[in-house]
Amino acid sequence: MKKYLTHPWLTIRVQLALGAIFVAAALPKITDPPSFAHMIYNYRLLPAGLINISALVMPWVELLCGLALILGVWRKAALSIIGTMLVVFIIAISINLARENAIDCGCFDVSKANLTREQRLGDMKFVILRDIGMLLMVAQVWWAASVRD
Amino acid sequence: MKPFAQVIALIGAAFVLGLVANAVAARDRKLMLPGYYPSARKMPAQAPPVAATQALSAPVPVRIPASPPSTPATDTVLSGVPVSSPAPEKQKKTVAPSPKPVPKAIDLATRFPAHPDKAYVEVSGDDAALLHANGALTLDARRTSDYEAGHIAGARTLSVWESDVDDKVNKLYEERSDPREQLKPILIYCSGGDCEDSHMLAQKLWGVQFNNIYVYKDGFPDWQKRRGTVHTGSNP
Repeated sequence: MKKYLTHPWLTIRVQLALGAIFVAAALPKITDPPSFAHMIYNYRLLPAGLINISALVMPWVELLCGLALILGVWRKAALSIIGTMLVVFIIAISINLARENAIDCGCFDVSKANLTREQRLGDMKFVILRDIGMLLMVAQVWWAASVRD
Repeated sequence: MKPFAQVIALIGAAFVLGLVANAVAARDRKLMLPGYYPSARKMPAQAPPVAATQALSAPVPVRIPASPPSTPATDTVLSGVPVSSPAPEKQKKTVAPSPKPVPKAIDLATRFPAHPDKAYVEVSGDDAALLHANGALTLDARRTSDYEAGHIAGARTLSVWESDVDDKVNKLYEERSDPREQLKPILIYCSGGDCEDSHMLAQKLWGVQFNNIYVYKDGFPDWQKRRGTVHTGSNP
């Protein structure tokens, strides 16, 4: 089992997919920071002073980490950052789900989705599952890299 | 380079790129630092804070025809009260409903008195139409791109999410620096529903001594539903 899960054939595909996902997630946010700031604001978690700077920096972190994975450079650093961000996203969405604050996650699209409250709450559960899936992808690449090292 | 140093380098590079990109971004894509969000960690209220009908005297109904537009564009606005717009080339007007009842001309100061003790009062579509029809300054708190796609005729754009919001607020303050001017009602709207942009803008304006602000609770979608006059483009 370990042999298959850490096989380079699988690892390179997971790594490229993860990199592509993060590049795709970053681009809409980079092109429209005010909309992303609005999304961050809707989470009601960050202090006011950190909202805009987060909206400016976070997409670039995602882009650089995604590119690092695609190019295969600074892999462990990129995986650490992506893993940390995913954990933070999962916690942030879970907190809002727990307090029934229905929000658009702003993960890949910063335009308003015009969903109902119930649809948004349903989407938030899906986003948590999706982020857990991506966290497993991070774990796979990290594990494979550790085995090879 | 060790992974920890690489992490620092990646985050540092993202910081620099983010700030540089913001510095060269177009006006409507730029963020100001640190930003002004008075309710950043407060959960949105489930119920509206104050309804105009509770806070003020009985509403004066304004009937807006519900029939779909059938005639070509006209310059007449919803109420028959002209909105001062220069009709520049870029501006297009949508079809106005016809026929239109003329809402009552009212004394705004009596019907919508100043309320210095609270940042804003939420109003319904009827009150919003009445304010608009009687020449109250109307502000669109949505993004500029949304404004250009369609806005209440005569409304000015003042997006709280764009970096020039403070400049626009200061300009407005200069235009209405006389304390009597600041008591005149201002109508603010965004996208209705859970949109809070108009509330945020209202708080900002209240902070610079505008004491008579009304938030159109159901916002632009309601205005469209009521077949109020809509303009597109970058001018009011």
